[in-house]
Amino acid sequence: MEDGNFLTDDFLRQLINVGEVDILVGLPTHNNARNVGSIVHTIRDGILRGFPRERAVIINADGGSRDGTPELITSVSIDDARPASSVYALRTLHAISTKYAGTPHSGVALRTILAAAELLRAKACIVMSPESESITPEWVSSLLRPVYYDGFDLVTPTYRRHKFDGLLMTNLLYPMVRALYGVRIREAYMPEFGFSGRLGSEFLGKNRWNDGIGENGIELSLTLAAVTSGFRVCQSFLGKKDPVERHAADLVPTLRQTVGVLFSALESDFELWSAVSGSKEVSTTGSDQELVLDPLRVNRKRLREMFVRGVSELESVFQSIVSPSTMSELKRIAGLGEEEFSYPAELWVRTVYEFAAAYRKSVINRDHIIQALAPLFRGRVFTFVVENRSGSANDVANNIEGLCLEFERLKPYLLEMWKSKE
Amino acid sequence: MNSNSNKDALWYKDAIIYQVHVRAFHDGNGDGIGDFLGLEQKLDYLQELGITAIWLMPFFPSPLRDDGYDIADYNSVHPSYGTLEHFRKLLDSAHQRGIRVIIEMVLNHTSDQHPWFQEARSSQNNPRRDWYVWSDTDTRYKNTRIIFLDTEKSNWAWDPTSKSFYWHRFFSHQPDLNYDNPEVREQMWNVMKVWLEMGVDGFRLDAVPYLVEREDTNCENLPETHSILKELRLRLDQNFPGRMLLAEANQWPADLRPYFGDSDEFHMAFHFPLMPRMFMGLKLEDRKPITEILHQTPEIPPSCQWSLFLRNHDELTLEMVTDIERDYMYDMYAQDKTTRLNLGIRRRLAPLLNNDRRRIELMNVMLMSLPGTPIIYYGDEIGMGDNISLGDRNGVRTPMQWTGGWNAGFSTAEPEKLYAPIIHDPVYGYPAVNVTSQKECEHSLFHWMRRIIAVRKSSAVFGRGSIEFLYPVNHRTLAYLRQLGSETVLIVNNLSSAAQAVELDLRRYKGNVLIEMFGNNLFPRVGDLPYLLTLGPYQSYWFRLRRV
Amino acid sequence: MREMIVNELTQAVQDLARGFAHYLPRLIVMLILAFAGWLIAYLIKIILRSVLRFIKFDRLSENAGASQLLAKAALPSATEMLSRFVFWITWLGFILLGVSVLGILGLQEQVARFFLFLPRLFVAVVILFFGMLAAGFSARAALLGAVNANVPSPRLLSLAVRSIIMVFVLSVVFEELGLAEQTMLVAFGIAFGALMLGLAIAFGIGGKDLARRFLEEKFVRNKKEQDEDELSPL
Repeated sequence: MEDGNFLTDDFLRQLINVGEVDILVGLPTHNNARNVGSIVHTIRDGILRGFPRERAVIINADGGSRDGTPELITSVSIDDARPASSVYALRTLHAISTKYAGTPHSGVALRTILAAAELLRAKACIVMSPESESITPEWVSSLLRPVYYDGFDLVTPTYRRHKFDGLLMTNLLYPMVRALYGVRIREAYMPEFGFSGRLGSEFLGKNRWNDGIGENGIELSLTLAAVTSGFRVCQSFLGKKDPVERHAADLVPTLRQTVGVLFSALESDFELWSAVSGSKEVSTTGSDQELVLDPLRVNRKRLREMFVRGVSELESVFQSIVSPSTMSELKRIAGLGEEEFSYPAELWVRTVYEFAAAYRKSVINRDHIIQALAPLFRGRVFTFVVENRSGSANDVANNIEGLCLEFERLKPYLLEMWKSKE
Repeated sequence: MNSNSNKDALWYKDAIIYQVHVRAFHDGNGDGIGDFLGLEQKLDYLQELGITAIWLMPFFPSPLRDDGYDIADYNSVHPSYGTLEHFRKLLDSAHQRGIRVIIEMVLNHTSDQHPWFQEARSSQNNPRRDWYVWSDTDTRYKNTRIIFLDTEKSNWAWDPTSKSFYWHRFFSHQPDLNYDNPEVREQMWNVMKVWLEMGVDGFRLDAVPYLVEREDTNCENLPETHSILKELRLRLDQNFPGRMLLAEANQWPADLRPYFGDSDEFHMAFHFPLMPRMFMGLKLEDRKPITEILHQTPEIPPSCQWSLFLRNHDELTLEMVTDIERDYMYDMYAQDKTTRLNLGIRRRLAPLLNNDRRRIELMNVMLMSLPGTPIIYYGDEIGMGDNISLGDRNGVRTPMQWTGGWNAGFSTAEPEKLYAPIIHDPVYGYPAVNVTSQKECEHSLFHWMRRIIAVRKSSAVFGRGSIEFLYPVNHRTLAYLRQLGSETVLIVNNLSSAAQAVELDLRRYKGNVLIEMFGNNLFPRVGDLPYLLTLGPYQSYWFRLRRV
Repeated sequence: MREMIVNELTQAVQDLARGFAHYLPRLIVMLILAFAGWLIAYLIKIILRSVLRFIKFDRLSENAGASQLLAKAALPSATEMLSRFVFWITWLGFILLGVSVLGILGLQEQVARFFLFLPRLFVAVVILFFGMLAAGFSARAALLGAVNANVPSPRLLSLAVRSIIMVFVLSVVFEELGLAEQTMLVAFGIAFGALMLGLAIAFGIGGKDLARRFLEEKFVRNKKEQDEDELSPL
């Protein structure tokens, strides 16, 4: 296994001591001391309640925290060397930590976790996010049971979240993955998920990690790899998800990790997605995904302003990317006042598809293409917020469904652009 | 032997005890039931095995409604097993071979067929009336639990003869003696004296927590009970120094501690909670259950000793474990529900471990090296099997298998006359598992047991030394140091079915060479780095540490 | 007298004829070389054009911004230009080679100097090309970054980035060509310095508030005003 070289000696020694496990919980961190203490205790509870007899381990892949994050995690291990622990457990539970080389990247962290899972021959694994404050012990079972008992290979989460939370997912990633790959996976890019040892090994072995694949999040790559390689995928409802605190500047890196990865994948997966038509539901366990409808203050004005500025300042860039008709439409709506402003679904879909095609052809530097999408996305968010500001959960769901159907309907358009100038 | 007993008052710390049913061991007179004569004929075998004491199950005259624990005459032996003369002869022969003899003594109650009870119940004015606990109502001592919940609904039973209730903590045909009566105490001491004068080396005292009753208590472990026991011990020490008292009390170690007193009550007590955890640790492939229970075990006075065992005549009790642990043990060791009895599993050692020689050895290694005096259940030294169809706990009390021939060499009688059928399945049956063929095979379990007993006897550190656990990160290995004076022994066990590598922190012993105790070969010297050992599946190492 | 003139004339004509005969082969060689050169140059042009089309050179030059420049000057595409340039250079080279065969001393020196100049010309063109590429890339990156960070006047910023880089590139090109090196060096120094100073002043005075806001954003994280209503995209 060539991946053995990429783990440190010390970590390997720790893995030797842990030995073969049935269940592995991976936790990628970087300076998460604020929340990770309670989160890892919750994870431990989840393991002890849901899988008391199984051999389990918690693996922390840390990017070099300076705030004591790894120590908080390793302190939850249960072993007889520290018998003062008040927690009752049938077995020893190891919680080990390693610092991976290089700058903190979720891709490298996940690769470390996958490598450890393979070495320990874990049957079922989950990756948890150190930022999910609303986690409960049941989340562990919800993600592990389908893999451990029902033979699924990938378990993506679904949440009960605010209707305006996760709009990149609902307005782009979910509909596009659905339209192109034919699977209705609500959270294809997921902070926490479950996977089988089989899928982990295959993904680890298949990828050429030196090509910089690990640099931008591999979560979406994992989902797409599972779908394209015929692994069994399902969704599991976890619970409420609180919106994570975000800064405006985080949008571009987020786009890189999601849209960038998706656009790259389209190239290698062309044979599969070009042959798919329509979409199918994936097996889903757990209860409702009803949206939270509490009022949420949104700075709509700024969203529109950034869209307008983007369209005007970046016109020269857009001209290389989108078609002339799309360009003129964008300029037209940029000229509308706040009341009339609307970035309709069809235009949005066309925009996204044209971006995808431009990405493929590398009309300009690919990273610049992704960056250019940001202001347009904001415009779309504005429209979505306005359209759904007073809608019921059902209305919002229908709205999203409508957008998905639009993505599916315009798929031939993408194919056409893709094939031209081959 | 008795004249030597002064020399080594702590002989029980170094002892290796062999638990045996007279009835099941060997038949000397051809009537199909084992007896003292037969047992005496096999003392050479026991001497060869290397054990140093035998513990005999109850052999007193008894209606046998509770397997001999319902005694009808304390001063004699059951005719099926022979006569008192036979017993004396057995005692002498054993002592000549350096084997001590421990017998049962039931203090708490007698059989209702005992003449004392017959007299006591005959009338309210009988002199022995007060020897038992009587009451006109059945409402006294309300807070006392019932032990045999399946069969008894109350601790009081109605006696139609004397028209009153009598107290019984066990079966209704086992009335409790009244220890508030000094006559009873004196009489019971006299009973013990008889056997002590005969030469018996120790008693296993059955059901000791229940001697005394007091209103508004649970009638267990009362201070008065302890006083009586202390008194008994004092008289024993004064008149028969060097004899031993072993307590049978199925309690948590912390609750057992009072029975050691200040070295003024029992010499030994069974460590019940450790045994199921050894089995659990083996299945989990994790040492945690074992180290934790020993960590929770309190310190006992230097002259006292725990008694360790793997199996015995009863079911493998799961009373002293949590519900999760019990479910786990049932699912792992007793998938066949008919093997579950009360709160335990009624199987012998070898069938529990699927006849896996390596695991049998590993369990015996732990038995022989953990702190305490080991007790071997008869037949387990050759890996005998059990007969579940015999019901209750009789499946583990089948005749000892001596040869592959007639009645497995147990008896010359007709097979139908045997007190119980001999095991004859292809795996554990007497043609496959018997003493004779194992003696001829160098690699047999019997010879292995001989060797490990010999190694254990080669050093006092096992019976008398301290224990210190090492906690290597590899939780599948159980490693500990036994120390006595300047002697240090390191035991490392692999609880897993797969080969393991383990690094031990032996920095304190830097410079010591390790000498493996079975082959006496040298292992590398301890240096600054963690000491790396690799072990095969279920393998263990015994090392003597020597500074050269 | 007449005889002398005729003799001289005959001598002169004979000299001319001899001279002619002496140079004629060389002239013919020169013409042959020129013709062969034309053929070879043409072939090279065709091959180069295919290669450039294959590697999508036009796209590259678009990124460099070279195509836009050419279009403004109503010149044909970069591929075409480069191919033609190489054609002419090659043919010129052969012609000059032919000329040198003629053996005219002064000319030979010039020819040699021309050929020595060619590599430097080539390097200069390469530097210019890639410099324009880098300038274009950086300008676009700055533009996108500024737009997404909500920095005012992103286009100005982008232009500034492009200008700085181009000024630098041009200085290097001129230095490479050996044209007015010293002048260029000084001029570059002045221009660059002035540009930076100008930017600094403009930024300092005009962008005072912007600078404060920027620094506050960077180092004082309690500034929730701007972000409190930011939605989480995932």
